[in-house]
Amino acid sequence: MVGKLILTRILYAVLTLLAVSVVVFAAVEILPGDITTRILGRSATPEAVAVLRKQLGYDQPAVMRYANWLGGVLQGDLGTSLSSQRSVNEVIGPRLANTAILALCAFVLSVPLSLLPAAAQALKPGSLLDTIASAINFVLLAIPDYLLASIMLILFVVVIPVLPSTSLVTDASGFWDWVRALILPSVVLAISISIYAIRLLRDGLIDVLSRDYVRMAELKGMPLRVVLWRHAFPNAIGPTLNITALNISYLIGGVIIVERVFSFPGFGSVMVGALQAGDAPLIEATVLIAALIYITANTLADIGSILTNPKLRSAQ
Amino acid sequence: MNKQLVAMDMNITNSVEIDDFSLDYFIGANGWVRILREVGLSIGRGEVLGLVGESGCGKSSLAYNLLGYRAGNSRIPSGRLMVGQTDVGRLDRAALDKVRGRRVALVPQNPTTALSPHLRIRSQLAEVLVEHGYATETTAIEARLKELLFLVGLTDTDRILQSYPYELSGGQQQRIVIAMALSCDPEVLVLDEPTTGLDVTTQGQIVRLLAMLKRRIGLAMLYVTHDLNLLSQIADRVVVMYAGSVVETAPTATLFAAPGHPYTRGLIGSIPNIRQTARGGLRLQGILRRSEIGAGCPFAARCQYRQPLCEARHPESVAIAVKHDVACHFWRDLPAFDPVPERLDARRGAAGKGEVVLEVEHLAISYKRVELLGRWLGRTRQPVVKDVSLRVRRGEIVSLVGESGSGKSTIAKAITGMIDHVAGSVTYGGSVDLGMLRSRPVEVLREIQYVFQNPDESLNPRRTVGAALARPISRFRKGLSAGERQELIVEALREVQLDESYVHRYPGQLSGGERQRVAIARGLVAQPKLLLCDEILSALDVSVQAKVIDVLLDLKKQGEIAMLFISHDLSVVRAISDRVVVLYKGTIMEEGPTDAIYQPPYHPYTHMLLNAVPEPGRVSAEGEPAGEPPRLDPAGCVFANRCLWKKGTVCDSAVPPMRQAGDLRIRCHHDLATLSELATWQNGERQAGAR
Repeated sequence: MVGKLILTRILYAVLTLLAVSVVVFAAVEILPGDITTRILGRSATPEAVAVLRKQLGYDQPAVMRYANWLGGVLQGDLGTSLSSQRSVNEVIGPRLANTAILALCAFVLSVPLSLLPAAAQALKPGSLLDTIASAINFVLLAIPDYLLASIMLILFVVVIPVLPSTSLVTDASGFWDWVRALILPSVVLAISISIYAIRLLRDGLIDVLSRDYVRMAELKGMPLRVVLWRHAFPNAIGPTLNITALNISYLIGGVIIVERVFSFPGFGSVMVGALQAGDAPLIEATVLIAALIYITANTLADIGSILTNPKLRSAQ
Repeated sequence: MNKQLVAMDMNITNSVEIDDFSLDYFIGANGWVRILREVGLSIGRGEVLGLVGESGCGKSSLAYNLLGYRAGNSRIPSGRLMVGQTDVGRLDRAALDKVRGRRVALVPQNPTTALSPHLRIRSQLAEVLVEHGYATETTAIEARLKELLFLVGLTDTDRILQSYPYELSGGQQQRIVIAMALSCDPEVLVLDEPTTGLDVTTQGQIVRLLAMLKRRIGLAMLYVTHDLNLLSQIADRVVVMYAGSVVETAPTATLFAAPGHPYTRGLIGSIPNIRQTARGGLRLQGILRRSEIGAGCPFAARCQYRQPLCEARHPESVAIAVKHDVACHFWRDLPAFDPVPERLDARRGAAGKGEVVLEVEHLAISYKRVELLGRWLGRTRQPVVKDVSLRVRRGEIVSLVGESGSGKSTIAKAITGMIDHVAGSVTYGGSVDLGMLRSRPVEVLREIQYVFQNPDESLNPRRTVGAALARPISRFRKGLSAGERQELIVEALREVQLDESYVHRYPGQLSGGERQRVAIARGLVAQPKLLLCDEILSALDVSVQAKVIDVLLDLKKQGEIAMLFISHDLSVVRAISDRVVVLYKGTIMEEGPTDAIYQPPYHPYTHMLLNAVPEPGRVSAEGEPAGEPPRLDPAGCVFANRCLWKKGTVCDSAVPPMRQAGDLRIRCHHDLATLSELATWQNGERQAGAR
């Protein structure tokens, strides 16, 4: 039963991804401007254009090109970047790794950043602490990422100059360079994820804390730590888990902005660059990768909530 | 006798000593409101003290305070809550963690919500032992868990420890919770309505288990319940509470034989008695309204013996006999407690001889659809209701009784068209074949109305009573003027004995009984011909129950409505129904006129249900053995694995025949003469209090 549910989820994910690839391909296809003129310039001779079109495969119908492209993608070949003439894999690879490190840092930071305030607020809803925390939460909710990022920049680079203004890392950067480069962007990202999670977790925990079984745990003499983390928390995490998945997807968007503000050489900047240059293969590849991450995260969250539900887990 | 002597000797070392205890709640506009008022009681070691009263009397507040648990907006203006040498009212959280579960343990009301859904039984039980340092090594823990499960009558230990709560039945879950409470050998056990919500047969098993534990372990128990009859089965002494004050304390037998306080008398008189008796004129009047309570006796507003002094001064508790205390100014002047019973079924009146309104024939219902794969493998749908036939006539109340899972509500839902049936027919008004809800003409929708079990959930909290009642009118009686609509609403409210002032109130401003009456009024306002009542009394206090029963009987006497009444309460069913249908696992076991059902011959299942009903003066007879019943052979009788009168292998191999005697039908392999001989439950009067 569980196996079947999970398989269905995965099947849906694959189908969605396939649909995304069609949409992405079609969207790039109808982008204004002819690829060849963009590469060769307006003064190119028709012969040269024809040669290049053939070379790039643009003499074939769109369906064929889609099939070729998809075939390549499935074999791990994302094509060749038009602007740099390098393989897309080569262009994206190291940048993706940089972003993965940034996202991981942000995610790890966001766990205590959301759990602790949520638990503290839920234990005494309506208290002064809860009111103040909620107010801060709403203010942060209303501040867009780039503004938060800019405020942080001013605060920790200009007012108290402890951190570098750009987070440029290269192959030559050492460990401490990485740490200094990552602090600001990951904190900003972590905060913007946590503010949603805190709200949901707080409400979820308040609901669960009023349940009979939580009171029972308290009345059989369990200390607060056991009541909170063993009896209440696992039942409040369900909805938050799904939000976390959305958050991971949100990270992709947030990363673009934050990377830009801090000049961090990541996946987001590749994506922006590709769009600015109208580099079709690179756009297709980046969007597809973003979709892959998004869909995988959501599918994993679904599978997670299937697995954490004992009724589904052990049903025959 | 022995027990009382022991209890007296223990007076010096009572396990629980509550003294002059008061409790206030801070309630918004009203400031500090006194919830408990100078409560005093004691429980000796090995003693079971019953604490009884209607909802809102503060009995649960008192019980939870004994565990040091109270809401944040409360304070203790006076008194002590001594458990041994510890005052649990003055402990901080860290100290309470060492008392709760270790010295004072709780068995809560609803086991199905009291166990953490995501934890296996093993870890929920083991954590108590570990956190209290009772057992720390894996082998010691495992041994203690097994010992505990055996103690509460669960033998299939490995499977149960490995289970999640939802995999166990309600009775098993309650046993687990009791095991949990006993795990660290506490001094005091607080039981908060531990069997409410369980089937009557399961309730019997749990009460027998508790009685056995009392004999074997000898810990002090505080048993909180609204069910006075249940206390007659287990309590040594009973404390009766009203509006936060203790009004009477007495040994159980004394309480039933010679109740001293007018409230206690009314409480005893209001309980619908399975033997159809009540004590004349003693039923409780009115309902508990804390706002009506002044400086005087809290019960004054509802007391039929009220004098001016009662409203002026709070009565002190006085000892009127050994161990019998009553808080009443005029206990000497009350008439002697009159044990002469009145037959309640006289109120029921004759059965209607009207035409058949509802005819159900060979009804079969199943929930789950068989998937394609299953169908190839030859699986069929498991029916939850099989071959059920019944009729309801105009002016008649027909009751469906049975334990949970017997298919009572499923049948009602099929009649209303909320679910589909796979075979058989439901015919309305002699000719209309009832299909699914949306295929029914408006007229039929109007004529069949449904009252749900829980008015808290079936009434929209954001709409006034008037708006709730206006909805069926605007749906079913189009073209009425606003004045006419208002008139209909007021009329429907009067029918359930509520006045027009209720029109503008919200459900949240009403008591549970008033809400249920509004729900009934909503059913009535459509002027139905068939009213389906699904467990509408189970959440109500006895005094309110009595009132709703009156409403239903009045409706019946008007002779226009046919009612299908679904209930698990055999006493209520006897009080109001003309015919009774006993269901087990979706199959009719016995069916007939009410009087025939409550006298021999009985179906073995009916007999088991009757025997499980707790009554004062009758120690609950041997019931079902605890634990899982053996596997059921699908070829035989559905009741074979639980039957105490099993005839032999024929019960496992063949479906029993329906045997008929006059209007009574019983589905059993035994013939009717044998069933009569086997019966031990007699329909005679029973002298209350005679042990």
